[in-house]
Amino acid sequence: MERKQADYGTQDERYMIQGERYQGQQYSHIYFTRLHHMRTLLHALVPSRNPNVPVTTVLGLEEGKDCVLVGTLFKHMKLKPSILDEYSKERSVVPLVKPHNFMHPEDNLILEDESGRVALAGAIPPAAYVTGVVVALHGKETSAGNFLVEDVLEAGLPPQTLLPSINEDKYVVFVSGLSVGSSTFNPLQFQLLIDHITGHLGDENEQTVASKIVRVVVAGNSVHIAPRYLNGQTVAAKDQPRIAEPIKELDIMLTQLVASLPVDIMPGCNDPANFSLPQQPLHRCLFSGASTYNTFSSCPNPHEFELDNVKFLGTSGQNIDDLYKYSDAKDRLEFMERTLTWRHLAPTAPNSLGCYPYTDKDPFLVESCPHVYFVGNQDRYESRLLQGSEKQQVRLISIPRFCDTGIAVMLNLRNLECTTLSFSTSFDS
Amino acid sequence: MSSGGKRRAAPPAAPSAAGAAKRAHPTPPGAPQPPPPAAAAAEEEDMMDEDVFLDETILEEDEAALLLLDRDEALASRLSRWKRPALPADLVSGCSRSVAFQQLDIDYVIGESHKELLPKSSGPAAIIRIFGVTREGHSVCCQVHGFEPYFYISCPSGMGPDDISRFKQILEVRMKESNRSSNVPKFVKSVELVQKQTIMHYQPQKSQSFLKIVVTLPTMVASCRGILERGITMEGLGSKSFLTYESNILFALRFMIDCNIVGGNWLEVPAGKYRKAARIMSYCQLELDCLYSDLVSHAAEGEYSKMAPFRILSFDIECAGRKGHFPEPTHDPVIQIANLLTLQGEAQPFVRNVMTLKSCSPIVGVDVMSFDTERDILLAWRDLIREADPDIIIGYNICKFDLPYLIERAEVLKIVEFPLLGRIRNSRVRVRDTTFNSRQYGTRESKDVTLEGRVQFDLLQAMQRDYKLSSYSLNSVSAHFLGEQKEDVHHSIISDLQNGNSETRRRLAVYCLKDAYLPQRLLDKLMYIYNYVEMARVTGVPISFLLSRGQSIKVLSQLLRKAKQRNLVIPNMKGQGSGQDTFEGATVLEARAGYYEKPIATLDFASLYPSIMMAHNLCYCTLVPPEDVRKLNLPPESLYKTPSGEIFVKQELQKGILPEILEELLAARKRAKADLKEAKDPFERAVLDGRQLALKISANSVYGFTGATVGQLPCLEISSSVTSYGRQMIEHTKKLVEDKFTTLNGYEHNAEVIYGDTDSVMVQFGVSTVEDAMKLGREAADFISETFIKPIKLEFEKIYFPYLLISKKRYAGLYWTNPEKFDKMDTKGIETVRRDNCLLVKNLVTECLHKLLVDRDIPGAVQYVKNTISDLLMNRVDLSLLVITKGLTKTGEDYAVKAAHVELAERMRKRDAATAPTVGDRVPYVIIKAAKGAKAYEKSEDPIYVLDNNIPIDPHYYLENQISKPLLRIFEPILKNASRELLHGSHTRAVSISTPSNSGIMKFAKKQLTCLGCKAVISGPNQTLCSHCKGREAELYCKTVANVSDLEMLFGKLWTQCQECQGSLHQDVLCTSRDCPIFYRRRKAQKDMAEARVQLDRWDF
Repeated sequence: MERKQADYGTQDERYMIQGERYQGQQYSHIYFTRLHHMRTLLHALVPSRNPNVPVTTVLGLEEGKDCVLVGTLFKHMKLKPSILDEYSKERSVVPLVKPHNFMHPEDNLILEDESGRVALAGAIPPAAYVTGVVVALHGKETSAGNFLVEDVLEAGLPPQTLLPSINEDKYVVFVSGLSVGSSTFNPLQFQLLIDHITGHLGDENEQTVASKIVRVVVAGNSVHIAPRYLNGQTVAAKDQPRIAEPIKELDIMLTQLVASLPVDIMPGCNDPANFSLPQQPLHRCLFSGASTYNTFSSCPNPHEFELDNVKFLGTSGQNIDDLYKYSDAKDRLEFMERTLTWRHLAPTAPNSLGCYPYTDKDPFLVESCPHVYFVGNQDRYESRLLQGSEKQQVRLISIPRFCDTGIAVMLNLRNLECTTLSFSTSFDS
Repeated sequence: MSSGGKRRAAPPAAPSAAGAAKRAHPTPPGAPQPPPPAAAAAEEEDMMDEDVFLDETILEEDEAALLLLDRDEALASRLSRWKRPALPADLVSGCSRSVAFQQLDIDYVIGESHKELLPKSSGPAAIIRIFGVTREGHSVCCQVHGFEPYFYISCPSGMGPDDISRFKQILEVRMKESNRSSNVPKFVKSVELVQKQTIMHYQPQKSQSFLKIVVTLPTMVASCRGILERGITMEGLGSKSFLTYESNILFALRFMIDCNIVGGNWLEVPAGKYRKAARIMSYCQLELDCLYSDLVSHAAEGEYSKMAPFRILSFDIECAGRKGHFPEPTHDPVIQIANLLTLQGEAQPFVRNVMTLKSCSPIVGVDVMSFDTERDILLAWRDLIREADPDIIIGYNICKFDLPYLIERAEVLKIVEFPLLGRIRNSRVRVRDTTFNSRQYGTRESKDVTLEGRVQFDLLQAMQRDYKLSSYSLNSVSAHFLGEQKEDVHHSIISDLQNGNSETRRRLAVYCLKDAYLPQRLLDKLMYIYNYVEMARVTGVPISFLLSRGQSIKVLSQLLRKAKQRNLVIPNMKGQGSGQDTFEGATVLEARAGYYEKPIATLDFASLYPSIMMAHNLCYCTLVPPEDVRKLNLPPESLYKTPSGEIFVKQELQKGILPEILEELLAARKRAKADLKEAKDPFERAVLDGRQLALKISANSVYGFTGATVGQLPCLEISSSVTSYGRQMIEHTKKLVEDKFTTLNGYEHNAEVIYGDTDSVMVQFGVSTVEDAMKLGREAADFISETFIKPIKLEFEKIYFPYLLISKKRYAGLYWTNPEKFDKMDTKGIETVRRDNCLLVKNLVTECLHKLLVDRDIPGAVQYVKNTISDLLMNRVDLSLLVITKGLTKTGEDYAVKAAHVELAERMRKRDAATAPTVGDRVPYVIIKAAKGAKAYEKSEDPIYVLDNNIPIDPHYYLENQISKPLLRIFEPILKNASRELLHGSHTRAVSISTPSNSGIMKFAKKQLTCLGCKAVISGPNQTLCSHCKGREAELYCKTVANVSDLEMLFGKLWTQCQECQGSLHQDVLCTSRDCPIFYRRRKAQKDMAEARVQLDRWDF
């Protein structure tokens, strides 16, 4: 049987910081660029959504007068952890109970543009928004000096290229959270996945399906290295090989995969990569075996690519996890949807999510709408087809952690339908 | 007990404010007032009245003084929004309604006596002015007539009515001689024979003859006193000098005492008893004239315990300093003034305003006023003060900086009409240097700005008075009390912002506004208005005294009030104490140092010194001098003989005044506390809580008053008796506890007193649970209380468990008041707050104590110390933890000994004069590695410079001079070989020192790439690892990248935090607050970030 192929192209240059030189810049530039970019978009939308309402700045506000403001939201949060807490005068004797996230009923939103800040009230629920989102707000200034919001204008889904019609089944497999080296990692389970993809398992039927897999995307957290080896303290000579052990193991497994089909590997928050977004590709020296194949590609996080003109965009999950800490939604897919309608992959960067201090661009702005938007390292598998107002169609996928669930996700390029591949090594099920 | 006084010649500095003389030099009436002398008063005299004459000549001129308001209508309409509510019509026209108001400030002025109210008198007289606010928020100036200054002398025996009138004539002549320049027609108004008694010493007879001498003007009291003290010659009686009584009381206070007025209480002028002023002298809405006898003073109870809606103005100014200089009014313009006006009791200011020089972009919710010239700003500010009419002016360091700066600046610019900021029409504000000297608060130089009718409340002064903090910068104070960091813009940047455009000036305005808002928030948070008004009410002094004067005036005020009721008079004994007398202080039982793992019960004497004074009737008027004991032939059973050998009569013969004052204070405190429990309304609770606190402080300061050898009325017999009783009681308690709680008496264990201090005794009963210890503690307290005279009471308060007793006055322990859960960790005398230590010490000590006491994990604490020391030696400690900060109070030449921070300031000035610290700044520094034998002061360096140039710090300095002592103190009671274990173990072997990047020998060194794995020199230019380490590539890469990722995480956290403090996302962070704990870390993160990227790039091959 012959494996199917698909044309592959990446748009990852925007996430590479190779060329950037750090020159002591701060974070104000990235906010400025973001606001500037989004303002042009939002200004264009105002006439159709709120005709006859003037657009102004925070400075130009006049009490009681209807207007539209465009600015960056800032959410003032009572429970937001601060680095200053390390220095607080009284060490609390009883450890605080940590809530699942940092929301508090007294959180409030502030809108900021270059000219100033104004506190928001009215029809804008603080729970749904986070710091860093750029929106247009329709409302008026009250006598108390607040801005009473009547209506929130978000940019909405970006324009999308036409979904190419593919008339045969081609599959892409997504897997995340392999966590090789962690206590929950099960080598057999991973081997089953590899054998399934490479066609060494199952009957002819299953092998036929396997032969239609054109690419595997590993979305972050592939290894787990005990933090005690990396805290800067000297590591005893006998422990030194331990650091590299999980990576070697992963390399062996990956080599089996890349021998038969292309694999994209993205870094995640536990991987040996830099911390702040965009995370740079895992270094080739880590994969002495797999990197010898030209089917192996080490990609940044976020990762953006095309397969047969189907546009993919995804992250290893940090952007959505951070939204979950600072805002509320019914499920992870809703968070994903919001990042698309805000046209920003990671609005909380740099505020609560680490981010490179760019000076002249904001790489996380979503300028064109992907057909598939995936996020790795989530608690469970979820998927939905999102329909945009201009006929955009986006497949949202929340990829679960493989080491916890044994689930990988398989997407059909032909119709963007999703199925799960579930592997279990226990006999009772 | 007595230092302080030696330095100074007579008159000695009292604990009360020395030299806080309120008024400028007296000027003869009619002559225009000269500008205030800038220099300090040559000789400091505490408690001195100065007569200010109403100067009517410039009244007209003032009317003509151009109000900016008249010129600028727009400004006028904007300012008019801030006016006080309009007076109701019936008050505007008639006098048919009684007027009640809460008074805030009382002073006096010399004017013509009121012809209508006092038809019989004429000529100049002292007129009391009371400023206050009505319930509706109207400002009132009440001029009280008819009250005359007086004092007493004891009447020489055998003086008849004729002698008295002769005496009066002689006195009048002498007065005229010594006040030649004065053209007052009459000096001595009357001399009258009265029956009084002196407060000093027990006297069986009920009264003696005294002469009450009434003079025309308040200052004449002092000059008359001088004449009488030097002695006058009278026919038939010969030359005689007199001891004067109550001759050192400020006129305003005398008036308050005689009219039963206490600071901050409500006064009422009944309908029909007042006249509307014929000629308006003040800017108050209501100006009344009345007789002092018609004034009704209400006790602060019920309706009258409330607060009137005072207007509080909080302001801050910004000046454009020149590079390298602290702003000086002679050169540097005032560029912005931010103002916030708040009504007392309301959460938010109702006006926010900022005045700027040159245009400024608008700010949401803020009234921005821009002016073209500095003259206009200053005048607009004056008009704002006049229109808004604030009762209290607050700010941070306004008394020493902002207010004097504005006034001096106006003088430099020759704006003569500027300093009309008080409430009196023609009165210009005067500035003078003063020294505030108090044993309790230390010596502090300040400036005294007279703003008639407006109370100034400088939060900086209040902080320095009431709290011991490591730094008093507004930034660290607000971090401490409000839990937020304040952005700090260096004064060299301020000029740049000002010289930018309207946007940069807006940036500065936002900063300025925040500086004006923080004092207001501090005032609210710390309930200062409530606490100070209550303190004024309890002690009876005007509110303005509380900040500008020491403790003794408060006690004196109470003593005078009480003495008046008892018909006693107080001699003016000032200057008699030599300042050298000492007596034995409180006792401290020897501490049995150790780490106690059984509960330690603490028995406390409740209000020890006050209760001793009450129990043993210790007072001026119950003291029997040794020579009197036999003379008076008093029965021994009605006398107390104190352990220090003094004799006092018992209550039956004569009840002491001090005990009576104390009883009232403590009873009032009990009431206030009971009311506090009942009270629901938060404002009422605030008042009551302020009151009980004021009562407690007042009760405790009575003892100090008697012991202040250079004070108003020292009486060492009392204070030494108090401490001797205290000592005796502590010993007695120890003995009783150890005798009673023994196995012989049926108790499980023998009790042991391990430590005792002034008013508390720590007992180990030997039981192992908190509950049992509490039971025994209570039993012991009740049992021992029985053996003391009432109201002395031993109370059981708390358990320490576990308890680490280091030495006298140094201990730490967990504090329990109920058996279930401990309340807190209590430490005393341990380096957790010392200001001259670096943060590392504080963190280390706090963490160790926490591990020892809360976690009970001794090995854990030891490990923690070792890790920290290892981190220090391995150069892994965050630099900000190593910064030591000291204030630069004078320049290098003025310091006798070379000091690290002074030398550093000098060096920094050579590098860059613009940002170098100047006098008044705090200088942060770290100790760096230097050549062998370098002096300590040569090893100090600017932390930023250290960061930028990778200069190695000296870990051994920190180990030996900073952390070793405090650590050993804690661990010595616990570990056997603390020093060897902690400071010399294997963890101290590895040392890493960073290489300086730009200095000395390094310029000659050739840099070579080394293998990242083993540091072997690599030959090729593009290699990362040597051939041996090639196999470890993955591992070594992981380590490098983990390091980078930690740095990135830190970078993100630090810089977003600063954005948050600054309150803006779209603008760069400007803050250079060196008080902020993350300032250096932020800088370091910035540098590390750049370096880490270079490191990582080496892997790209």
